[in-house]
Amino acid sequence: MINNRKYDVIVIGAGPSGVSSAINCAKKGLKVLIVDLNSNSGGQIYRAPPKTYKSISKKLEENVIQNKLSDEIKKFKIETAYNHTVWQVSPGFKVNAFNETSTIQWQSKSLIIATGTYEKIIPFEGWTIPGVIGLAACTVILKAHHFIPSKKIVLAGNGPLLMLVAYYVIQFGGKVDAIIDTSSKIDWIKSTLSLITNPKNFRDGIKWIFKIFLKRIPFYSNSTVEKAFEVDGGINVKIRNLKNGKAKNIISETIAIGHGLIPSTDITRLLRAEHIYDEQKGGWIAKVDRFLRSSISGVYIAGDGAGISGALAATDKGLLASSALLYDEKFISQTEFDHNTYKILKKLDKYEVFAKAIFKLNSTPKKLIESINNGTVICRCEDITKSEILRAVDQGAKDINQIKSWTRLGMGPCQGRTCHYATSKIVAEYLNCEIDNLGYLTGRSPIRPVPLDRVLGDFDYEKITKVEAAPL
Amino acid sequence: MDLRVSNYFDRSNKVNINVNNKKIEAYEGECLAVVLFVNNIKKLRLSPKKRQSRGMFCLMGSCQECVVLIDDKKVISCNVFIKDGMKIKVGDFDK
Repeated sequence: MINNRKYDVIVIGAGPSGVSSAINCAKKGLKVLIVDLNSNSGGQIYRAPPKTYKSISKKLEENVIQNKLSDEIKKFKIETAYNHTVWQVSPGFKVNAFNETSTIQWQSKSLIIATGTYEKIIPFEGWTIPGVIGLAACTVILKAHHFIPSKKIVLAGNGPLLMLVAYYVIQFGGKVDAIIDTSSKIDWIKSTLSLITNPKNFRDGIKWIFKIFLKRIPFYSNSTVEKAFEVDGGINVKIRNLKNGKAKNIISETIAIGHGLIPSTDITRLLRAEHIYDEQKGGWIAKVDRFLRSSISGVYIAGDGAGISGALAATDKGLLASSALLYDEKFISQTEFDHNTYKILKKLDKYEVFAKAIFKLNSTPKKLIESINNGTVICRCEDITKSEILRAVDQGAKDINQIKSWTRLGMGPCQGRTCHYATSKIVAEYLNCEIDNLGYLTGRSPIRPVPLDRVLGDFDYEKITKVEAAPL
Repeated sequence: MDLRVSNYFDRSNKVNINVNNKKIEAYEGECLAVVLFVNNIKKLRLSPKKRQSRGMFCLMGSCQECVVLIDDKKVISCNVFIKDGMKIKVGDFDK
Protein backbone atom coordinates (compact mmCIF):
# COMPACT_ATOMS: atom_id res chain seq x y z
CA MET A 1 0.00 0.00 0.00
CA ILE A 2 1.81 3.13 -1.11
CA ASN A 3 0.38 6.26 0.41
CA ASN A 4 2.12 9.46 -0.55
CA ARG A 5 1.06 11.59 2.35
CA LYS A 6 3.19 14.69 2.61
CA TYR A 7 4.48 16.43 5.70
CA ASP A 8 6.70 19.41 6.44
CA VAL A 9 8.70 17.29 8.82
CA ILE A 10 8.80 13.63 9.80
CA VAL A 11 10.24 12.83 13.21
CA ILE A 12 11.55 9.27 13.48
CA GLY A 13 11.45 8.10 17.08
CA ALA A 14 8.97 9.08 19.80
CA GLY A 15 11.36 9.23 22.75
CA PRO A 16 11.83 12.43 24.75
CA SER A 17 13.85 14.21 22.05
CA GLY A 18 11.55 13.16 19.21
CA VAL A 19 8.53 14.42 21.11
CA SER A 20 10.10 17.75 22.12
CA SER A 21 11.22 18.44 18.55
CA ALA A 22 7.83 17.47 17.11
CA ILE A 23 6.04 19.81 19.52
CA ASN A 24 8.45 22.66 18.80
CA CYS A 25 7.68 22.31 15.06
CA ALA A 26 3.93 21.87 15.57
CA LYS A 27 3.81 25.07 17.66
CA LYS A 28 4.98 27.00 14.59
CA GLY A 29 2.27 25.49 12.44
CA LEU A 30 4.32 22.84 10.61
CA LYS A 31 2.63 19.63 9.53
CA VAL A 32 4.42 17.01 11.61
CA LEU A 33 4.35 13.21 11.66
CA ILE A 34 6.01 11.23 14.41
CA VAL A 35 6.83 7.58 13.69
CA ASP A 36 7.77 4.87 16.18
CA LEU A 37 8.05 1.12 16.23
CA ASN A 38 6.49 0.96 19.70
CA SER A 39 2.79 1.36 20.44
CA ASN A 40 3.27 4.58 22.36
CA SER A 41 5.63 7.49 22.97
CA GLY A 42 8.42 7.29 25.54
CA GLY A 43 11.25 5.67 23.60
CA GLN A 44 13.31 3.17 25.57
CA ILE A 45 14.09 5.31 28.59
CA TYR A 46 10.41 5.99 29.36
CA ARG A 47 9.10 2.90 27.59
CA ALA A 48 5.33 2.72 27.99
CA PRO A 49 3.66 -0.32 29.55
CA PRO A 50 1.41 -2.35 27.22
CA LYS A 51 -1.90 -0.64 26.46
CA THR A 52 -3.91 -3.28 28.31
CA TYR A 53 -2.23 -2.49 31.66
CA LYS A 54 -4.49 -0.47 33.98
CA SER A 55 -2.75 1.76 36.45
CA ILE A 56 -3.80 1.11 40.06
CA SER A 57 -2.59 4.04 42.13
CA LYS A 58 1.09 4.76 42.52
CA LYS A 59 3.24 4.89 39.45
CA LEU A 60 6.89 4.57 38.61
CA GLU A 61 8.44 7.92 37.79
CA GLU A 62 9.27 6.74 34.26
CA ASN A 63 5.64 5.83 33.63
CA VAL A 64 4.54 9.29 34.84
CA ILE A 65 6.94 11.04 32.44
CA GLN A 66 5.71 8.83 29.61
CA ASN A 67 2.10 9.86 30.35
CA LYS A 68 3.14 13.51 30.08
CA LEU A 69 4.73 12.92 26.67
CA SER A 70 1.54 11.24 25.46
CA ASP A 71 -0.60 14.12 26.73
CA GLU A 72 1.58 16.72 25.01
CA ILE A 73 1.37 14.91 21.69
CA LYS A 74 -2.42 14.91 22.01
CA LYS A 75 -2.55 18.54 23.12
CA PHE A 76 -0.67 19.73 20.05
CA LYS A 77 -2.63 17.36 17.79
CA ILE A 78 0.50 15.83 16.32
CA GLU A 79 -0.10 13.00 13.89
CA THR A 80 1.44 9.75 15.09
CA ALA A 81 2.26 6.49 13.37
CA TYR A 82 2.99 4.08 16.22
CA ASN A 83 3.63 0.37 15.58
CA HIS A 84 5.42 1.36 12.38
CA THR A 85 8.93 0.09 11.72
CA VAL A 86 10.97 2.28 9.38
CA TRP A 87 12.90 0.11 6.93
CA GLN A 88 14.00 2.56 4.25
CA VAL A 89 14.63 6.29 4.04
CA SER A 90 15.67 7.87 0.76
CA PRO A 91 16.58 11.40 -0.34
CA GLY A 92 13.71 13.64 -1.06
CA PHE A 93 12.72 12.57 1.71
CA LYS A 94 10.75 9.39 1.42
CA VAL A 95 10.22 7.33 4.54
CA ASN A 96 9.05 3.74 4.17
CA ALA A 97 7.63 1.81 7.09
CA PHE A 98 5.58 -1.29 7.75
CA ASN A 99 3.07 -2.20 10.41
CA GLU A 100 1.19 -5.40 11.18
CA THR A 101 -0.66 -5.44 7.88
CA SER A 102 0.98 -3.31 5.20
CA THR A 103 3.74 -0.98 4.11
CA ILE A 104 3.40 2.75 3.75
CA GLN A 105 5.42 5.62 2.33
CA TRP A 106 5.40 9.20 3.58
CA GLN A 107 7.18 12.22 2.18
CA SER A 108 8.59 15.23 3.93
CA LYS A 109 10.72 18.27 3.30
CA SER A 110 12.79 17.79 6.45
CA LEU A 111 13.68 14.90 8.71
CA ILE A 112 14.38 14.82 12.41
CA ILE A 113 16.10 11.59 13.32
CA ALA A 114 15.52 10.80 16.98
CA THR A 115 16.27 7.11 16.94
CA GLY A 116 18.41 7.18 20.08
CA THR A 117 20.69 4.31 20.88
CA TYR A 118 20.85 0.61 21.32
CA GLU A 119 22.87 -1.32 23.84
CA LYS A 120 26.58 -1.98 23.54
CA ILE A 121 27.33 -5.55 24.57
CA ILE A 122 30.87 -6.90 24.33
CA PRO A 123 30.69 -10.61 23.38
CA PHE A 124 31.95 -13.47 25.55
CA GLU A 125 31.89 -17.22 25.04
CA GLY A 126 28.28 -18.24 25.61
CA TRP A 127 26.63 -14.84 25.19
CA THR A 128 24.40 -16.38 22.55
CA ILE A 129 22.74 -18.92 24.85
CA PRO A 130 19.08 -18.21 25.60
CA GLY A 131 18.95 -16.77 29.09
CA VAL A 132 21.68 -14.20 28.42
CA ILE A 133 19.97 -10.87 27.77
CA GLY A 134 20.88 -7.20 27.54
CA LEU A 135 20.93 -5.08 30.66
CA ALA A 136 18.70 -2.59 28.85
CA ALA A 137 16.35 -5.46 27.95
CA CYS A 138 16.21 -6.18 31.67
CA THR A 139 15.13 -2.60 32.46
CA VAL A 140 12.37 -2.90 29.86
CA ILE A 141 11.16 -6.16 31.45
CA LEU A 142 11.13 -4.52 34.88
CA LYS A 143 9.91 -1.00 34.25
CA ALA A 144 7.72 -1.28 31.15
CA HIS A 145 6.41 -4.85 31.28
CA HIS A 146 6.44 -5.17 35.07
CA PHE A 147 7.98 -8.61 35.40
CA ILE A 148 11.18 -9.82 37.00
CA PRO A 149 13.06 -11.89 34.39
CA SER A 150 13.73 -14.82 36.73
CA LYS A 151 13.96 -15.62 40.44
CA LYS A 152 17.73 -15.28 40.35
CA ILE A 153 19.91 -13.17 38.08
CA VAL A 154 23.53 -12.15 37.52
CA LEU A 155 24.12 -8.58 36.37
CA ALA A 156 27.26 -7.83 34.40
CA GLY A 157 28.90 -5.14 32.29
CA ASN A 158 29.46 -1.63 33.55
CA GLY A 159 27.99 1.79 34.24
CA PRO A 160 25.03 3.03 36.25
CA LEU A 161 22.54 0.69 34.56
CA LEU A 162 24.03 -2.16 36.64
CA MET A 163 22.95 -0.39 39.82
CA LEU A 164 19.55 0.63 38.50
CA VAL A 165 18.68 -2.91 37.39
CA ALA A 166 19.94 -4.39 40.67
CA TYR A 167 17.76 -1.93 42.59
CA TYR A 168 14.59 -2.80 40.68
CA VAL A 169 15.19 -6.57 40.76
CA ILE A 170 15.47 -6.40 44.56
CA GLN A 171 12.58 -3.93 44.89
CA PHE A 172 10.34 -6.23 42.82
CA GLY A 173 11.21 -9.35 44.85
CA GLY A 174 13.96 -11.01 42.81
CA LYS A 175 17.44 -12.07 43.88
CA VAL A 176 20.67 -10.68 42.44
CA ASP A 177 23.30 -13.41 42.68
CA ALA A 178 26.19 -11.15 41.71
CA ILE A 179 27.11 -7.85 40.11
CA ILE A 180 30.13 -8.10 37.81
CA ASP A 181 31.59 -4.72 36.87
CA THR A 182 34.54 -4.08 34.52
CA SER A 183 35.19 -0.80 36.37
CA SER A 184 36.93 -0.54 39.72
CA LYS A 185 35.49 0.97 42.89
CA ILE A 186 38.04 3.77 42.48
CA ASP A 187 36.56 4.57 39.04
CA TRP A 188 33.20 5.04 40.74
CA ILE A 189 34.62 7.25 43.50
CA LYS A 190 36.51 9.36 40.93
CA SER A 191 33.30 9.93 38.99
CA THR A 192 31.29 11.31 41.93
CA LEU A 193 32.42 14.93 41.51
CA SER A 194 31.20 14.97 37.93
CA LEU A 195 28.06 12.95 38.58
CA ILE A 196 26.96 15.35 41.31
CA THR A 197 26.46 18.06 38.64
CA ASN A 198 23.21 16.26 37.94
CA PRO A 199 21.70 16.10 41.44
CA LYS A 200 18.55 14.23 40.44
CA ASN A 201 20.39 11.32 38.81
CA PHE A 202 23.04 11.43 41.53
CA ARG A 203 20.42 10.99 44.26
CA ASP A 204 18.89 8.06 42.35
CA GLY A 205 22.34 6.48 42.11
CA ILE A 206 22.92 6.77 45.85
CA LYS A 207 19.52 5.16 46.49
CA TRP A 208 20.39 2.21 44.21
CA ILE A 209 23.86 1.67 45.69
CA PHE A 210 22.49 1.87 49.23
CA LYS A 211 20.02 -0.91 48.50
CA ILE A 212 22.73 -3.10 46.92
CA PHE A 213 24.94 -2.50 49.95
CA LEU A 214 22.17 -3.36 52.43
CA LYS A 215 21.40 -6.61 50.62
CA ARG A 216 25.12 -7.54 50.66
CA ILE A 217 25.08 -8.54 47.01
CA PRO A 218 28.44 -10.05 45.94
CA PHE A 219 30.15 -7.35 43.90
CA TYR A 220 33.00 -8.23 41.53
CA SER A 221 34.95 -5.13 40.43
CA ASN A 222 37.50 -5.16 37.57
CA SER A 223 35.78 -8.33 36.42
CA THR A 224 33.90 -9.77 33.50
CA VAL A 225 31.91 -12.83 32.48
CA GLU A 226 34.50 -14.86 30.60
CA LYS A 227 32.30 -17.77 29.73
CA ALA A 228 28.74 -19.01 30.26
CA PHE A 229 27.21 -22.41 29.61
CA GLU A 230 24.00 -24.20 30.37
CA VAL A 231 23.82 -26.54 33.35
CA ASP A 232 20.91 -28.25 35.07
CA GLY A 233 18.61 -25.57 36.34
CA GLY A 234 20.43 -22.61 34.91
CA ILE A 235 23.59 -21.06 33.59
CA ASN A 236 27.13 -21.50 34.85
CA VAL A 237 28.78 -18.08 34.92
CA LYS A 238 32.57 -18.01 34.90
CA ILE A 239 33.76 -14.71 36.35
CA ARG A 240 37.29 -13.53 35.54
CA ASN A 241 39.06 -10.73 37.33
CA LEU A 242 40.73 -8.69 34.58
CA LYS A 243 43.41 -7.40 36.95
CA ASN A 244 44.62 -10.38 38.96
CA GLY A 245 43.36 -13.16 36.67
CA LYS A 246 41.41 -14.96 39.39
CA ALA A 247 38.38 -16.95 38.24
CA LYS A 248 35.21 -18.02 40.02
CA ASN A 249 32.12 -19.96 38.91
CA ILE A 250 28.59 -19.30 40.07
CA ILE A 251 25.26 -20.68 38.93
CA SER A 252 22.27 -18.48 38.19
CA GLU A 253 19.19 -18.45 35.95
CA THR A 254 19.70 -15.36 33.81
CA ILE A 255 22.63 -13.12 32.90
CA ALA A 256 21.83 -9.52 32.02
CA ILE A 257 24.85 -7.78 30.51
CA GLY A 258 25.52 -4.38 28.98
CA HIS A 259 28.49 -2.06 28.48
CA GLY A 260 26.80 1.23 27.66
CA LEU A 261 25.03 2.57 24.61
CA ILE A 262 25.70 2.91 20.89
CA PRO A 263 24.11 5.75 18.89
CA SER A 264 21.81 4.46 16.19
CA THR A 265 23.18 5.49 12.79
CA ASP A 266 21.08 3.20 10.57
CA ILE A 267 19.25 6.03 8.82
CA THR A 268 22.10 8.51 8.53
CA ARG A 269 24.35 5.80 7.07
CA LEU A 270 21.58 4.91 4.62
CA LEU A 271 21.36 8.58 3.57
CA ARG A 272 25.15 8.69 3.12
CA ALA A 273 25.59 11.45 5.67
CA GLU A 274 29.12 12.05 6.94
CA HIS A 275 30.06 10.12 10.06
CA ILE A 276 32.91 10.43 12.52
CA TYR A 277 34.28 8.11 15.18
CA ASP A 278 34.08 9.49 18.70
CA GLU A 279 34.62 6.91 21.42
CA GLN A 280 33.39 9.29 24.13
CA LYS A 281 30.12 9.87 22.31
CA GLY A 282 29.45 6.16 21.80
CA GLY A 283 31.39 5.20 18.65
CA TRP A 284 30.43 6.06 15.06
CA ILE A 285 28.08 9.03 14.99
CA ALA A 286 26.62 11.25 12.32
CA LYS A 287 28.67 14.43 12.02
CA VAL A 288 26.60 17.39 13.22
CA ASP A 289 27.14 21.10 13.79
CA ARG A 290 26.44 22.56 17.24
CA PHE A 291 22.76 22.97 16.36
CA LEU A 292 22.52 19.27 15.38
CA ARG A 293 22.32 19.72 11.61
CA SER A 294 23.76 16.69 9.83
CA SER A 295 25.92 16.97 6.70
CA ILE A 296 22.77 16.53 4.60
CA SER A 297 20.62 19.59 4.15
CA GLY A 298 17.23 19.06 5.80
CA VAL A 299 18.33 16.22 8.10
CA TYR A 300 18.65 16.97 11.82
CA ILE A 301 19.65 14.59 14.61
CA ALA A 302 17.92 14.96 17.96
CA GLY A 303 18.64 13.02 21.14
CA ASP A 304 21.47 10.55 21.62
CA GLY A 305 21.77 9.62 17.92
CA ALA A 306 24.67 11.99 17.25
CA GLY A 307 26.43 11.39 20.54
CA ILE A 308 25.27 10.22 23.93
CA SER A 309 24.37 12.82 26.50
CA GLY A 310 21.57 11.05 28.34
CA ALA A 311 17.84 11.28 28.93
CA LEU A 312 17.80 14.64 30.67
CA ALA A 313 19.62 16.29 27.77
CA ALA A 314 17.41 14.56 25.18
CA THR A 315 14.51 17.01 25.48
CA ASP A 316 16.85 19.97 25.03
CA LYS A 317 18.60 18.35 22.08
CA GLY A 318 15.17 17.90 20.48
CA LEU A 319 14.50 21.61 20.98
CA LEU A 320 17.90 22.51 19.54
CA ALA A 321 17.57 20.38 16.40
CA SER A 322 14.04 21.58 15.73
CA SER A 323 15.02 25.23 16.30
CA ALA A 324 17.72 24.81 13.64
CA LEU A 325 15.10 23.36 11.29
CA LEU A 326 12.64 26.19 11.99
CA TYR A 327 15.35 28.77 11.35
CA ASP A 328 16.61 27.09 8.15
CA GLU A 329 13.04 26.89 6.82
CA LYS A 330 12.45 30.54 7.80
CA PHE A 331 9.73 29.87 10.38
CA ILE A 332 11.68 31.81 13.01
CA SER A 333 13.95 34.85 12.79
CA GLN A 334 17.63 35.00 13.57
CA THR A 335 16.81 36.82 16.83
CA GLU A 336 14.32 34.18 17.93
CA PHE A 337 16.74 31.42 16.96
CA ASP A 338 19.61 32.99 18.90
CA HIS A 339 17.37 33.61 21.89
CA ASN A 340 16.00 30.03 21.90
CA THR A 341 19.29 28.27 21.41
CA TYR A 342 21.49 30.34 23.75
CA LYS A 343 20.03 28.89 26.94
CA ILE A 344 19.79 25.36 25.55
CA LEU A 345 23.48 25.33 24.57
CA LYS A 346 24.44 26.45 28.08
CA LYS A 347 22.32 23.72 29.65
CA LEU A 348 23.75 21.11 27.31
CA ASP A 349 27.30 22.09 28.31
CA LYS A 350 26.36 21.22 31.88
CA TYR A 351 24.95 17.86 30.86
CA GLU A 352 28.20 17.09 29.02
CA VAL A 353 30.11 16.96 32.34
CA PHE A 354 27.70 14.27 33.51
CA ALA A 355 27.78 12.42 30.19
CA LYS A 356 31.59 12.31 30.24
CA ALA A 357 31.61 10.80 33.72
CA ILE A 358 29.10 8.16 32.63
CA PHE A 359 31.22 7.46 29.58
CA LYS A 360 34.24 6.78 31.79
CA LEU A 361 32.25 4.24 33.80
CA ASN A 362 31.00 2.70 30.55
CA SER A 363 34.34 2.67 28.73
CA THR A 364 35.49 -0.54 27.11
CA PRO A 365 38.78 -1.65 28.72
CA LYS A 366 41.44 -3.05 26.40
CA LYS A 367 41.63 -6.13 28.61
CA LEU A 368 37.94 -6.81 28.06
CA ILE A 369 38.47 -7.01 24.29
CA GLU A 370 41.57 -9.18 24.79
CA SER A 371 39.60 -11.53 27.04
CA ILE A 372 37.29 -12.62 24.19
CA ASN A 373 38.13 -16.23 23.28
CA ASN A 374 38.84 -17.02 19.61
CA GLY A 375 35.89 -19.39 19.32
CA THR A 376 33.39 -16.77 20.52
CA VAL A 377 30.60 -15.93 18.08
CA ILE A 378 30.80 -12.19 17.36
CA CYS A 379 28.17 -11.81 14.61
CA ARG A 380 25.15 -13.54 16.12
CA CYS A 381 23.03 -13.38 12.95
CA GLU A 382 25.53 -15.24 10.77
CA ASP A 383 27.43 -17.23 13.45
CA ILE A 384 30.80 -15.62 12.67
CA THR A 385 33.48 -16.22 15.30
CA LYS A 386 36.37 -14.04 16.37
CA SER A 387 38.87 -16.40 14.70
CA GLU A 388 36.94 -16.24 11.39
CA ILE A 389 37.12 -12.44 11.54
CA LEU A 390 40.85 -12.47 12.29
CA ARG A 391 41.45 -15.01 9.50
CA ALA A 392 39.74 -12.64 7.03
CA VAL A 393 41.97 -9.83 8.30
CA ASP A 394 45.07 -12.01 7.84
CA GLN A 395 43.94 -12.77 4.29
CA GLY A 396 43.76 -9.07 3.49
CA ALA A 397 40.44 -7.66 4.68
CA LYS A 398 41.56 -4.42 6.24
CA ASP A 399 38.29 -2.53 6.41
CA ILE A 400 35.00 -3.44 8.03
CA ASN A 401 33.11 -3.59 4.71
CA GLN A 402 35.74 -6.00 3.35
CA ILE A 403 35.35 -8.12 6.47
CA LYS A 404 31.62 -8.11 5.75
CA SER A 405 32.12 -9.30 2.17
CA TRP A 406 34.66 -11.89 3.29
CA THR A 407 32.70 -13.45 6.13
CA ARG A 408 29.01 -12.33 5.91
CA LEU A 409 29.46 -10.51 9.24
CA GLY A 410 26.79 -7.80 9.50
CA MET A 411 24.75 -9.22 6.61
CA GLY A 412 22.09 -10.82 8.80
CA PRO A 413 18.76 -9.50 10.04
CA CYS A 414 20.31 -7.08 12.55
CA GLN A 415 22.46 -5.45 9.83
CA GLY A 416 25.46 -5.29 12.14
CA ARG A 417 23.77 -3.35 14.93
CA THR A 418 24.79 -5.99 17.49
CA CYS A 419 28.37 -6.74 16.31
CA HIS A 420 29.66 -3.60 14.57
CA TYR A 421 31.19 -1.99 17.65
CA ALA A 422 32.82 -5.14 19.05
CA THR A 423 34.20 -6.16 15.63
CA SER A 424 35.80 -2.74 15.15
CA LYS A 425 37.37 -2.98 18.60
CA ILE A 426 38.67 -6.53 18.04
CA VAL A 427 40.19 -5.73 14.64
CA ALA A 428 41.66 -2.38 15.70
CA GLU A 429 43.26 -4.16 18.64
CA TYR A 430 44.60 -6.93 16.38
CA LEU A 431 46.01 -4.54 13.77
CA ASN A 432 47.01 -1.99 16.38
CA CYS A 433 45.26 0.76 14.42
CA GLU A 434 42.61 3.42 15.02
CA ILE A 435 38.98 2.44 14.50
CA ASP A 436 38.62 5.37 12.05
CA ASN A 437 40.90 3.48 9.66
CA LEU A 438 38.51 0.52 9.50
CA GLY A 439 35.53 2.61 8.41
CA TYR A 440 31.92 1.78 9.16
CA LEU A 441 29.39 -0.55 7.58
CA THR A 442 27.77 1.09 4.56
CA GLY A 443 24.07 1.56 5.25
CA ARG A 444 21.94 -0.86 3.26
CA SER A 445 18.19 -1.08 2.94
CA PRO A 446 16.14 -2.64 4.45
CA ILE A 447 17.45 -1.54 7.84
CA ARG A 448 14.90 -3.91 9.46
CA PRO A 449 13.66 -7.15 7.86
CA VAL A 450 10.46 -6.42 5.91
CA PRO A 451 7.89 -9.21 5.71
CA LEU A 452 7.19 -9.72 2.00
CA ASP A 453 3.44 -10.13 2.52
CA ARG A 454 3.30 -6.53 3.75
CA VAL A 455 5.04 -5.26 0.63
CA LEU A 456 2.76 -7.24 -1.66
CA GLY A 457 -0.45 -6.20 0.07
CA ASP A 458 -3.78 -7.53 -1.19
CA PHE A 459 -4.20 -7.96 -4.92
CA ASP A 460 -6.05 -10.11 -7.34
CA TYR A 461 -3.55 -11.92 -9.55
CA GLU A 462 -6.00 -12.00 -12.48
CA LYS A 463 -6.26 -8.21 -12.47
CA ILE A 464 -2.54 -7.59 -12.87
CA THR A 465 -1.51 -6.25 -16.28
CA LYS A 466 0.85 -8.86 -17.58
CA VAL A 467 3.73 -7.68 -19.70
CA GLU A 468 4.76 -9.87 -22.60
CA ALA A 469 8.15 -11.46 -22.24
CA ALA A 470 10.94 -9.81 -24.20
CA PRO A 471 11.88 -11.67 -27.41
CA LEU A 472 14.90 -13.92 -27.02
CA MET B 1 6.53 -18.47 41.35
CA ASP B 2 4.70 -15.85 39.29
CA LEU B 3 7.28 -13.34 38.15
CA ARG B 4 4.69 -10.64 37.48
CA VAL B 5 5.03 -7.40 39.43
CA SER B 6 1.56 -6.18 40.32
CA ASN B 7 2.31 -3.16 42.52
CA TYR B 8 1.61 -0.62 39.81
CA PHE B 9 -0.73 -2.05 37.23
CA ASP B 10 -3.66 -4.44 36.90
CA ARG B 11 -3.37 -6.81 33.97
CA SER B 12 -6.24 -7.34 31.56
CA ASN B 13 -8.13 -10.65 31.01
CA LYS B 14 -6.49 -13.99 31.56
CA VAL B 15 -6.17 -15.85 28.26
CA ASN B 16 -4.49 -18.95 26.85
CA ILE B 17 -1.91 -19.13 24.15
CA ASN B 18 -0.58 -22.21 22.45
CA VAL B 19 3.17 -22.72 22.26
CA ASN B 20 4.33 -25.83 20.36
CA ASN B 21 0.93 -27.38 21.22
CA LYS B 22 1.33 -26.63 24.91
CA LYS B 23 -1.14 -24.36 26.70
CA ILE B 24 0.35 -21.32 28.43
CA GLU B 25 -1.65 -18.90 30.55
CA ALA B 26 -1.03 -15.18 30.19
CA TYR B 27 -2.83 -11.87 30.29
CA GLU B 28 -4.11 -10.17 27.20
CA GLY B 29 -1.74 -7.52 25.90
CA GLU B 30 1.40 -8.72 27.69
CA CYS B 31 4.60 -8.84 25.65
CA LEU B 32 5.00 -12.28 24.04
CA ALA B 33 8.81 -12.42 24.31
CA VAL B 34 8.65 -11.69 28.05
CA VAL B 35 5.81 -14.17 28.69
CA LEU B 36 7.78 -16.92 26.94
CA PHE B 37 10.94 -16.04 28.87
CA VAL B 38 9.33 -16.10 32.32
CA ASN B 39 7.60 -19.40 31.43
CA ASN B 40 11.09 -20.77 30.84
CA ILE B 41 10.51 -21.05 27.09
CA LYS B 42 13.81 -19.43 26.28
CA LYS B 43 14.98 -21.33 23.20
CA LEU B 44 13.04 -19.56 20.48
CA ARG B 45 14.88 -20.48 17.29
CA LEU B 46 18.11 -21.92 15.88
CA SER B 47 20.98 -19.89 14.44
CA PRO B 48 21.50 -20.36 10.68
CA LYS B 49 24.94 -21.96 10.55
CA LYS B 50 25.80 -23.54 13.87
CA ARG B 51 22.13 -24.41 14.63
CA GLN B 52 22.54 -23.14 18.18
CA SER B 53 19.52 -22.20 20.26
CA ARG B 54 18.83 -18.50 20.47
CA GLY B 55 16.41 -16.42 22.47
CA MET B 56 15.22 -12.97 23.45
CA PHE B 57 18.17 -10.62 23.70
CA CYS B 58 17.74 -6.86 23.20
CA LEU B 59 13.97 -6.51 23.68
CA MET B 60 13.82 -3.35 21.58
CA GLY B 61 13.47 -4.56 18.03
CA SER B 62 17.13 -4.22 17.13
CA CYS B 63 18.80 -7.65 17.35
CA GLN B 64 16.08 -9.79 15.66
CA GLU B 65 17.02 -12.79 17.83
CA CYS B 66 13.57 -13.40 19.31
CA VAL B 67 11.89 -14.43 16.05
CA VAL B 68 9.13 -17.05 16.44
CA LEU B 69 6.38 -18.34 14.17
CA ILE B 70 2.90 -16.98 14.84
CA ASP B 71 0.21 -18.49 12.62
CA ASP B 72 3.07 -19.63 10.38
CA LYS B 73 4.49 -16.15 9.98
CA LYS B 74 7.92 -15.10 11.24
CA VAL B 75 7.76 -12.20 13.68
CA ILE B 76 9.99 -10.72 16.36
CA SER B 77 8.21 -11.68 19.56
CA CYS B 78 9.37 -8.61 21.51
CA ASN B 79 6.93 -6.50 19.55
CA VAL B 80 3.93 -8.84 19.80
CA PHE B 81 1.22 -8.50 22.41
CA ILE B 82 -0.67 -11.53 23.66
CA LYS B 83 -4.06 -12.30 22.17
CA ASP B 84 -6.30 -15.19 23.20
CA GLY B 85 -5.68 -18.35 21.22
CA MET B 86 -2.44 -17.23 19.60
CA LYS B 87 -0.59 -20.19 18.05
CA ILE B 88 3.16 -19.97 18.42
CA LYS B 89 5.94 -22.23 17.25
CA VAL B 90 9.43 -22.04 18.71
CA GLY B 91 12.58 -24.09 18.18
CA ASP B 92 13.55 -25.77 14.93
CA PHE B 93 10.95 -24.16 12.65
CA ASP B 94 13.30 -22.44 10.25
CA LYS B 95 14.04 -25.22 7.80
